[in-house]
Amino acid sequence: MSLAAEPCRGCDVRAESLVRLGLSPGRWDYLIALAGNPNTGKSTVFNELTGLRQHTGNWPGKTVVRAEGVYSRDGKRVKVVDLPGTYSLQAGSTDEEVARDFVLFGRPDVTIVVVDATQLERNLNLVLQILEITDRVVVCLNLMDEARRHGIAVDPGRLAEELGVPVVPTVARRGDGIPELLEAIDGVASGSIETRPRRIERHAEPVEQVIERLVPMVESIYPNLPNARWVALRLLNADESVEEAFRSGDVGRIAGPDGASAENGDLASSAFGDSGASGAPVLPLRPSDSATAARREVLERASALRWELPRDFHDAVVETVFAAAEGIARKSEERGLRRVKFDLDRRMDLVLTSRWLGFPLMLLILAAVFWITIVGANVPSRLLSVLLIENGRPWLLGLAEAVRFPGWASGLLIDGVYLATAWVVSVMLPPMAIFFPLFTLLEDFGYLPRVAFNLDGMFRRVGAHGKQSLTMCMGFGCNAAGVVATRVIDSPRERLIAIITNNFSLCNGRWPTQILIATIFIGALVPAHLAGLVSAAAVVAVALLGIAAMFAASWLLSRTFLRGEATTFSLELPPYRPPRILQTLYTSVIDRTLIVLWRAVLFAAPAGAVIWLVANVSVGGTPLAGHFISWLNPLGLLIGLNGVILLAYVVAIPANEIVIPTVLMLTVLSAGIAGAGAEAGVMFEPESAYAMGELLRAGGWTLLTAVSLMLFSLLHNPCSTTLYTIYRESGSAKWTTVSALLPLAMGFSVCFAVTRIWHIVVS
Amino acid sequence: MTAFWSRFMPFQSRERRREAAERISLEDALKHLYDCERAGRPCTLESLAGSLESSRDSAARLLTTLEGLALVRPEGETFGLTEEGRRSAVRVLRTHRLWEHYLAHRTGAEPASWHPSADRMEHRLTEEETEELDLRLGRPLFDPHGDPIPTREGELPPPRGTPLTRLDAGRSAEVIHVEDEPSEIFETLVAQGFAPGCGVQVLEADAEVLRLRIAGREQVLDTVAAANVTVEPFPAGVSAGEPVRTLADAELGEAVTVSRISPTCQGPNRRRLLDLGVVPGTTITPELSSSGGDPVAYRIRGALIAFRRDQAASIEIVRR
Repeated sequence: MSLAAEPCRGCDVRAESLVRLGLSPGRWDYLIALAGNPNTGKSTVFNELTGLRQHTGNWPGKTVVRAEGVYSRDGKRVKVVDLPGTYSLQAGSTDEEVARDFVLFGRPDVTIVVVDATQLERNLNLVLQILEITDRVVVCLNLMDEARRHGIAVDPGRLAEELGVPVVPTVARRGDGIPELLEAIDGVASGSIETRPRRIERHAEPVEQVIERLVPMVESIYPNLPNARWVALRLLNADESVEEAFRSGDVGRIAGPDGASAENGDLASSAFGDSGASGAPVLPLRPSDSATAARREVLERASALRWELPRDFHDAVVETVFAAAEGIARKSEERGLRRVKFDLDRRMDLVLTSRWLGFPLMLLILAAVFWITIVGANVPSRLLSVLLIENGRPWLLGLAEAVRFPGWASGLLIDGVYLATAWVVSVMLPPMAIFFPLFTLLEDFGYLPRVAFNLDGMFRRVGAHGKQSLTMCMGFGCNAAGVVATRVIDSPRERLIAIITNNFSLCNGRWPTQILIATIFIGALVPAHLAGLVSAAAVVAVALLGIAAMFAASWLLSRTFLRGEATTFSLELPPYRPPRILQTLYTSVIDRTLIVLWRAVLFAAPAGAVIWLVANVSVGGTPLAGHFISWLNPLGLLIGLNGVILLAYVVAIPANEIVIPTVLMLTVLSAGIAGAGAEAGVMFEPESAYAMGELLRAGGWTLLTAVSLMLFSLLHNPCSTTLYTIYRESGSAKWTTVSALLPLAMGFSVCFAVTRIWHIVVS
Repeated sequence: MTAFWSRFMPFQSRERRREAAERISLEDALKHLYDCERAGRPCTLESLAGSLESSRDSAARLLTTLEGLALVRPEGETFGLTEEGRRSAVRVLRTHRLWEHYLAHRTGAEPASWHPSADRMEHRLTEEETEELDLRLGRPLFDPHGDPIPTREGELPPPRGTPLTRLDAGRSAEVIHVEDEPSEIFETLVAQGFAPGCGVQVLEADAEVLRLRIAGREQVLDTVAAANVTVEPFPAGVSAGEPVRTLADAELGEAVTVSRISPTCQGPNRRRLLDLGVVPGTTITPELSSSGGDPVAYRIRGALIAFRRDQAASIEIVRR
């Protein structure tokens, strides 16, 4: 008896459906699916099982893209698939459909249902629904420590008895119970643990009457079906996938892990034993015409019976399942064991969401996060700049010379590609490496959902979701990360609004531009001792203007483009959890910072090449950039800018970080200022703000140029990293275009208006 | 579903537009004939011209065309559908009601926009597209007005219920259908809280107006509007229309029991509530108010979940 990669009969069919379900091919002995409600620590269990470090957070809806991992135990390879967190398997949303189809058609050897021990009743709804589909289930009763802290005791033995499948109590964060979980998985997968899953025996009377009429018909076609009642119920629900499987005969196989299970008491071992050698399959693979006709007849009968169901049929089914869940929970848990005389969660909630303290505390906490980020990033940013730009570049140039690299090649690669990349890394990495972990700590602790809760009122008025406040904050770090974070918004319309408007958060690639320009031009308007304060106020004003623009754009979108989109709201406030600082640091640096940085670098590198080329390739004696600048100049002047700035924004679409170095280079190039900067046609930053101011003024800059630049830096199209992310997240070229053009149109209008008014006032 | 929507807004050439206009009139005529047939009324040239708001001449032209297509046959002074004609009419009706279901359940479109939009789409969708829509919607049985959606084979259950105007004073009934045409009357009815599944009690009735109670409010409705509501009477003695307390009225810390989710709450919102375990009999305690007062967080089956006020108002409760 060999343990081949395919442990069951009819596995070529399974392999086929697994490919269809998007699973990467590979060899494994057991296939395990991980299901559960959102925010039950499912990702943590996944990480504990596979040793992967998937990002986990204290709020619902993390796993959207399915993760896969592999572990080995006793010489067997076990593939684990992390399904999206869902409350039910009614296939009402994409996530639910993905999870349901996987459990049903992927026929995993074991489905682990991760259950939050503090919310047993609600979680059992999903467990019961999964038990209707498959016998091979292990319940992982997670967050046992939290349950204990809240005075809830759950009896795993009793629960296992009630459900008829193994129940393993765990504290996945600490790794408690994981060995036992592995044991149980192995037992169920190998068949050494037999399960007797609890199934819903009776539905509400009117529903039951219809089911009972359909079941005999289903059984007459598939006599060995272990879950004929469930199949009947799904047919009455007009469940497309189940109907299709019924028609094709797949139902006989999807029903259990293998079709023979209903006859043979011993599940898997027999299946392994005659794997591939079964002369007479339980179900004919190629059905005769009469069988096809009989199946079609049953389907038609089911369709006709649907008219006899009560109208609130779906509600009635959900009610029955929850009633069962309630009964099981009552028997296996005890609440209020410990008289919690000081309910910390509740006290914290009362303070953090109170009418008077809620907002000030929130502003204080967020301000602290930003302050730590800005102050903390200074030193490492400087260090990286010295290392990569001031020392790295000459060293590379020297090296290129030593190996006799042609001048244009070292210019393109070192002055273009390398320099742009180095700039992005030194500006972007330190703030992100500080900001994201801090933000993640707040998330882990459970505070962020409270922020969304407090701010939802404001966001509701503009047709958006309270969680948009959080994706907006993430956007202050990086818009691309902010767009990814919109996954936590589970209503389609509100998610699109959050995606499109994220760009109005001034990202950390744009902060330096704002600060620099404000210092040079606006700080200079007031006496020196006030300069710092005034320029800081100007930058904050721009950021606040961005928030105002975000609200305006959200309002506009929800009433125009997105009017008809579906909308729903619910916001779960999970219990507070003590944050795990080290793990958070590790995962958020890997998960958010490095991935975003990598993407930015991918886009910045070619941009560097383009920038170098426009500055160094000449046509008719003038560099390309010169032509572009003179073409763009009239348009630039119309909105208070100039051709240099517009060109810089066009070539610097990939990354906002390189706008200022590009502007400086182009200014020097176009104004023919000698002696400034390093060399002609190379991006640079001057020694001091003063030197830079002199340079820009020599290039024809005025206070109007500075104000317009600050506004335009806020209101323009997102960088290409963000656009690409928007495209991936929304899956739509249309919404990506809207995201690019809407802020651009706003930027042009605002700058144009400011310029008109300015000219009127000045003249 | 956005892409699905936008696929049906094509730019058309003038020629295509004229053809489309022709198709629309023909299909509308078939619909009228089908309505007459189901209601047991005779369909005449006048009734058709009236329903299409066109001249007798053009109505006659349409009927001739339809006869030529073997979809309609004359029956003395009146006209009837052939087998094929009935199939075509039912297909249009099916598309219409499916589209209304789609708008109600998968989009945020206003109730008043459902019918006009479906009136356009019923002529635009091909049969394959209609079937695709049906599959994606999970083969719904009823449209949001309570009308049954014909199956692909054209089956429809027999019509049921009686017009609200036939309900005696003092009796209560469940609303099973709210007619969506004409739209002004439909909007009035929606504003008064009529939706399939609601309870209503007639307090007083004469030839002109009905005084009735719906969702705890007393309303006056003229008989013309009331005739557009179909109800199924409750047994004598059962009354409906009493004020309904909803979760939005519950006070912080007050444990309440759900009696049902209001029938006006449909689609993704209803599914979400059910998923979270909001079913009749569930105990809910409002626990925490946000800084602004809306949303409020509720303890539901052990979890703390925030709903907005309008959502809470769709959960009907009884005091524990």
